[in-house]
This record gives sequence, C-alpha cells and structure tokens, in this order.
Amino acid sequence: MSFINSLLPTRNGHDEPPAASRPRHEVTETDDAFLLTVSLPGVSREGLEITDEGGQLTIRGKRAAAVPQGQNVVYRETGDSPFELAFVHDGSVDAGKIGAELRDGLLRLSLPKAESAKPRKIAVG
Amino acid sequence: MRRPRNGGGHKPLPWRRLGTGLNRHPACNRGGTMRYIQFTQPSARTFAPARVGGRLGAGIEDEIGYLFGTALSAFAGTGRGQFPVDLSQDKDNTYVRAELPGVARDAIGVEIVDGSLSIKATRKDNRGETEDTVDFSRLVSLPDDVQSDKVSAAYENGILTVTLPRREESKPRKVTVQVS
Repeated sequence: MSFINSLLPTRNGHDEPPAASRPRHEVTETDDAFLLTVSLPGVSREGLEITDEGGQLTIRGKRAAAVPQGQNVVYRETGDSPFELAFVHDGSVDAGKIGAELRDGLLRLSLPKAESAKPRKIAVG
Repeated sequence: MRRPRNGGGHKPLPWRRLGTGLNRHPACNRGGTMRYIQFTQPSARTFAPARVGGRLGAGIEDEIGYLFGTALSAFAGTGRGQFPVDLSQDKDNTYVRAELPGVARDAIGVEIVDGSLSIKATRKDNRGETEDTVDFSRLVSLPDDVQSDKVSAAYENGILTVTLPRREESKPRKVTVQVS
C-alpha cells in the first residue's frame, strides 16, 4: 500500500473556483510501474501538457471547442472546461522514465517505480 | 458545490472495477460518494498542510466533496456504459457528438432505428495481464427532418461526430415579400 499512499490526488489553488474539471482516470499497479489511464476526450497532442515537478505529476488537457462556431446547440451534456489531474508521488516514481501515449482521447502513462520503491525479496539462508 | 449524500442516484462509476490490488478506505461503505478516493488511502500524510494549500485541519469531507463535485460536473448523468452526448444544428445538418475516448473505430456502431440514432461501442481496457471489456450504448432521439440515408460519422480524439443532413424542405427559406 505504500505506493498507493504516495500517489495522491492533490489540489492546486484551493480558493479559486475549479475552472478545470477532473477527468476520469484509473491507476493500476504492477511490480515495476504504476499505470495511469486518463480519459481526455477532445484533447489533442497539442492541447496536452504533462509535468513532473517536485514529486508532483500534473496533467493538463485543453479541449477543442465541442460545438463549432455557426452551430446552434440543441442539447448539451459535455463541457468545454480544461482537464486537470495531479498526483503526488513522493519520489516513488522514476520521473526520468515516465512514458506517455495519447490515442483517441485516452492518455496512458507508465510511471516506472524508483528502485527503492520496488518490492524486494529477501532470501532466507 | 454539489455533494449528493447517497451518490445522487448515479450508477457506480467504472473505478469500482479497480478493486484488484487497491485497498479501499473504510469510509467507502458510507453511500456511494467515497469511491473517488478509494486509491488515495487517506493518511496523516495525505492531508499534510503542504498538500492542501495550507489548509490546516482541512477535513477529509472537504476533500471528498471536492473530488465528487468535480467528478460529477465532468461527467454528469452518466454511469458505466453511458457517455455524454451533444446535439447541435446548423442550416444544413444536425450533429450528434459523443465522448467515447479509447474506442477502436471498428468497435463503434452507428445506426438509425425508427427515427432515433443508436450509438454502440465496445472499449477494451488492457491492464497488463487482464483485459476488461466495457460496452457503451445510447439512443438519441432525432428531429423529424433527418435524411437518414445520407448520414456520415467521424471519430477524432475520442469524440464521435455523426452528421445528419436535414431535408431540403425543412431548411429555413428566405422569402421576401413586397409591401406595396
């Protein structure tokens, strides 16, 4: 569980109104890495920004306007607000080896664990 | 901020499926509102002042309210198997837009049945060794003036856009009347 403890969603700028919305996401864990899947419909590669700074991983995605100019909205369920998601990982992730793939509005991040965070087997002699 | 006590009548959201390997906080049993934090495992460290923008003593309730509020606004009215849609029009077409991130193009089915647009999709979630399949389905009522034989669809960045041309006679015509 130590790993899960270390991957915590955090919130920036608590006093500001939430201009960004939190995307649907999923975290899975293997022995070597955490896999983060984030739904970012309407976000292209250009609109995506991923930073890892001071043990905090932040994902920001700007959506293209859902309803193009010149169309009248009849019914609306989706939003236009940007996506934002942040995690604290306290150095349990090897930030230099984070891999990202964005395809069809789905972002897949692999966050390899730092050596110190990997489970170790201790042989009994 | 909306913070429904009983989960707001929503169906369980997909993260429930995350069960394997992820412990749930005991508070998760209180209604449906706690699911969002199931992988955060609140601890003294979670709510350390440095992590919550200096809000000393900020309760877990605040954090949950925040989590739930934003998650809801981002995905109002949809549970597992559902997805948000938009309907818009211009003078030539009616457009239906659906958020379906991560679906293969050949796993999307679009049909018109009795004046409604049926959108079906299957998403395969690959998590290392295990694979999970989620079926999406939605029926959208269409205006009467749709030319159902000329419908086209495109899928980009996880958004499906179905373009439904409007019949000629329903397009607004401009008639200039001479007043004598």
